[in-house]
Amino acid sequence: MDSRFSQIYLEPYFILINLLLIIGLIFFFRLNKDERTNIYYWLPFLILTFTVVYEDFAGYLVYNYELNKWVNEILGNEKNPNYNVWFYNFANKYIATALYLFLIKTWLEPAKKKYITWMIFFYFFVILFLTGTGIEPVYLGQPIIFAIGANMILVGSGLYFIGLISNEKYLESNPLRLLSFWQMTFILFTYSLTYISSVSVTYLYSVNKQLGMSLFQIDWVMGVLNLSILVLTIASPKLPGIFEKEPYYAAS
Amino acid sequence: MQPVEDQIYVIIFATLFLGGLMSSFVIAMVFIHRQRQVQNRQKLDQIKSEHEKTLLNIENEIQQETLSYVGRELHDNIGQLLSLAKLYLGSSKPEKQSEGKETINQVISEVRALSKNLNLDWVESLTIVEFIEQQLEKIESTGYCKTKVAYEFELGDFPKDQKLVLIRVIQEVLNNAMKHASPDLISINVKRFGSDRVIEIKDNGKGFDTSLESDGSGMFNLKKRMETIGGDFSITSSVGNGTLIHLMLPN
Repeated sequence: MDSRFSQIYLEPYFILINLLLIIGLIFFFRLNKDERTNIYYWLPFLILTFTVVYEDFAGYLVYNYELNKWVNEILGNEKNPNYNVWFYNFANKYIATALYLFLIKTWLEPAKKKYITWMIFFYFFVILFLTGTGIEPVYLGQPIIFAIGANMILVGSGLYFIGLISNEKYLESNPLRLLSFWQMTFILFTYSLTYISSVSVTYLYSVNKQLGMSLFQIDWVMGVLNLSILVLTIASPKLPGIFEKEPYYAAS
Repeated sequence: MQPVEDQIYVIIFATLFLGGLMSSFVIAMVFIHRQRQVQNRQKLDQIKSEHEKTLLNIENEIQQETLSYVGRELHDNIGQLLSLAKLYLGSSKPEKQSEGKETINQVISEVRALSKNLNLDWVESLTIVEFIEQQLEKIESTGYCKTKVAYEFELGDFPKDQKLVLIRVIQEVLNNAMKHASPDLISINVKRFGSDRVIEIKDNGKGFDTSLESDGSGMFNLKKRMETIGGDFSITSSVGNGTLIHLMLPN
């Protein structure tokens, strides 16, 4: 095996997320047909698969310099052809954030779901506007887009927690035994802990690369924890008695 | 300290601050959830005990009314029949004696019918539609006023506790109409308002000012009773324009 290739893919982060994908796949295909077609299970599975695939491909872009350089040239980035930020922007900032917003939407009470739908539309409008006008080029870090996406996730989490303390169905359940509670808590932590580092990533890399990398490890740890909760959600029908049924399971 | 170092510290402390803030937020949410859960349980227990109290009151009222009815029947009907039977059986004429026996048989069937009224089992066997028709028939038979009934849909059956409340509320509304309104016509319509199922009770009597407190307390009780079974009660009336009552049925 090529040493650069193994250097990239034998990182603990890559090993862990690929392992989680394999476990997720096993549990997902052990679900019955009704469960597999239920958004409560297929959406976490989609996010898990999408996240691991884009992380693997981002690693491949580091390995395959020529391909990365070619895309960067098409996008107008001739200064830093080794950057794979363009791909992270598409996969992580745009699609993954929207997918997490959809996931939050499934946990919300029906009356609040419409706010998330509006947020998603607004988010894509902002992306089109800021990248289309060149305010935030797609091949560089996009702090404004990240900040708007993260704020939307935080607002979505707020809506969930308001429902948790006010909705009768949630008041009947024990939040510590609800997967949605842990999912929302980890999403909230991921976006709040990485908020500052993601917004200041370009600056950090330019003044202290080592510190930038260290702060980015928070993102990796939270990423692994988030994917673990997604795997638990997919596996929950096979783990009876541990988690409670979600109050909006039927409505979602 | 260098300005760059300062900025790095700001980034690290801002990250830690946000993390701490979020932890406090989640912990606070769990505590608030626990508190509200306890409050919610207390509220549910209170609603449950109020519901049970209302049902008990209604059962008592129905039993009181039944006892008065049985008393009246024993005195006015069965007592008269037994006196008649005594007279017939005391006669030496065989046809009178056989009439006496027939009267005794009539008394037996009347007593059987009365005994059925003594417990609340009749509520189980009677539907709300049958009850409404029975009540309107009774009003018509007294010659007090005319009655009319119409159904927009099949009302179906209700659980016993809901049926008890509905029976009592309908009975109370009809009694009020007869006692205070002196109407020529009482009509009952079972209809839908959107997704709500409603029993509409209307009379063309005197009507009254609904804002007057003295008239409001009985209506307040009826509203409360309907609410205990997940329904609602509304009244529209004005002096000289009759009364319109809507009983919103539980889903």
